[in-house]
Amino acid sequence: MKRFLHTVCLLLFSVWSTANVLAPGYGTLDYQPPAVGSYVLPSLGKAADGQVRDDQGKAHRLHELFDDRIVLMGFIYTQCPDMNGCPLASYVMKQVQERLLQEPTLGKKVRLISLSFDPQYDTPEVMQAYAHHFRRANSDWRFVTTDSETELTPILSGYDQWRQKVYKDDGSYSGSMSHILRVYLIDQQKRIRNIYNAGFLHVDTVLNDIKTLAN
Amino acid sequence: MAEGSSELGDFIMKIHLIISFCFLSLLSALSSADETCMSPYMAKIEGQEDFVYIWTLGLEGVGDGQDKLVTVDVNPKSDQYGKVVASLSVGGRHEAHHSGFTDDRRFLWASGLDSSKIFIFDVYSDPSNPRLHKTIEDFVEKSGGVVGPHTNYALPGRIILTGLSNSDDNGGRTALVEYTNAGEYVATHWIPTDKDLRGATKSGQFADGYGYDLRVLPRKNLMLTSSFAGKNNYMRELSSVMGDEQAMQQFGNTMVIWDLHAKQPRKVLDVPGAPLEIRCAWNKDHNYCFTSTALTSKVWLVYEDDQGEWQAKAVGDIGDASKIPLPVDISISKDDTRLWVNTWNDGMTRLFDISDPFNARQIYEKKIGTQVNMVSQSWDGSRVYYTSSLLSKWDKQEPAGPDLQYFKAYEFDGQKLTPTFALDFIAEGLGAPHQMRFGAYALHGVKAASR
Repeated sequence: MKRFLHTVCLLLFSVWSTANVLAPGYGTLDYQPPAVGSYVLPSLGKAADGQVRDDQGKAHRLHELFDDRIVLMGFIYTQCPDMNGCPLASYVMKQVQERLLQEPTLGKKVRLISLSFDPQYDTPEVMQAYAHHFRRANSDWRFVTTDSETELTPILSGYDQWRQKVYKDDGSYSGSMSHILRVYLIDQQKRIRNIYNAGFLHVDTVLNDIKTLAN
Repeated sequence: MAEGSSELGDFIMKIHLIISFCFLSLLSALSSADETCMSPYMAKIEGQEDFVYIWTLGLEGVGDGQDKLVTVDVNPKSDQYGKVVASLSVGGRHEAHHSGFTDDRRFLWASGLDSSKIFIFDVYSDPSNPRLHKTIEDFVEKSGGVVGPHTNYALPGRIILTGLSNSDDNGGRTALVEYTNAGEYVATHWIPTDKDLRGATKSGQFADGYGYDLRVLPRKNLMLTSSFAGKNNYMRELSSVMGDEQAMQQFGNTMVIWDLHAKQPRKVLDVPGAPLEIRCAWNKDHNYCFTSTALTSKVWLVYEDDQGEWQAKAVGDIGDASKIPLPVDISISKDDTRLWVNTWNDGMTRLFDISDPFNARQIYEKKIGTQVNMVSQSWDGSRVYYTSSLLSKWDKQEPAGPDLQYFKAYEFDGQKLTPTFALDFIAEGLGAPHQMRFGAYALHGVKAASR
């Protein structure tokens, strides 16, 4: 608990704070999102590949995990205390999971992936424990990590996902990171079709985007 | 929904005490400071800004004559406070104008209205000494004929730019252009005209297709654009434009309501007289944005009415319109009660009370220089910065001296501005300063002490 308090304090002190106002993803939308198929999601480039390890300890290529499905992939780390950061990503992805379970035909086309950018702490075992809080037994949600910074760095670079470890005064890693929330919507051809951050991530818009791609 | 709400309640309860504990213990140490005019998608600075990055027009006979990114140290605790600590020339003159950060605030995009080139600066590797990361040289070709990239605005993982003109006739018809943060072209969205409304509703007299600034209200899925003039006007001497009746007809009279998520225009609003900068309210219940009109000298409000329809209304006069004060940049306070409005022609900055957004009243004014264009304030409003340059062909040439082309810093106590330092950009051999953006070591995980 003491370590967690320390982590939270460091994060609040060192990064831009959005925690005092809950992100829209925690509530209901204040507008009617554009109808499914009424708009275009232009390609934002190729989704990068990389070497990852799932919560069972099995190694995969990221593209192998994409499996020609529509993929919703969020970068997280399990110790993230910023309510509008990783917890928001997991919260909204859990809502997406619930909706997909209600629409199994669509659900079969979609895979959720939570990828940790903290290989030092987020081992497969830790990811498995984290997944217990979010993943339903019959859903397709993969929780993956990497073996080390060596495998992680090119993935972060490929997705332009910036994160900065926060260090203590003695130079040791505090366990917290500065980062900007990013969740990526990837189509069956492994192209990024939308990027969501804290101000933009909401189950209704994400689901409409998924349906727009699926259609 | 009930299940989700319950989970959210539990979730918040679990960490609320922790957050509260830390927040209370740090409250005295935290003082948010940032421009109040940035994208809501933007990472925010905590504490004092360390630098102001000034996108500066090159002037013939002044220094190397090139457009450049000038970095000024503005942290009072620094021994370089008030000094130019870096100047990065980009080769030639491009009509340096506006700039904007990517959403992670690691890169600053700065565009040229004449060459249509876009310069992407790395401001995170060394915040005190930006380096040129990439130059986009095929903006016109890739965008399908858009000319004059103006506003560089952060969306999640991408930048959306407004154009001012087009390559067919250098008139005002233009578009919005999306790029990835890496600088790869994504899409072009043309602004609706009478001939091609693109699904939008024309609510008044005009649908001119012109562009200028862009802001968003994510909570309302609103993207809002304003309108200025094409290259035929902005690259021509001001006196020549004003003496040409036909040219004076070639200014924007519209603002457009867009569906932010779909990037589709929904409604064209009449806002006559070249509506320029857009500043949206921060309060989650304030569903409105302000602009000022350069030619008619008014504050306009774009607001959502009781029926959920977006409307535009003139809500205040800026100086004496008959004297052509020429309103330019505006800056809204974080509490949505004050609006700084600069009038370029008389060099005045004017503070408006916008507590009642339908009744904008000037409550203070101060002369900043021979001419004044841009204004940027810290998040808490206690520090206000000004630059002088508007356009190379429009800027005044005299009287020469420190009030002609400058960067000036002030403290604001809620009642009056008090100067803290000023830089004469001619004497410094730099050029004509335009857009200002704030930088800070803390954004990039670097401690100030490491300086």
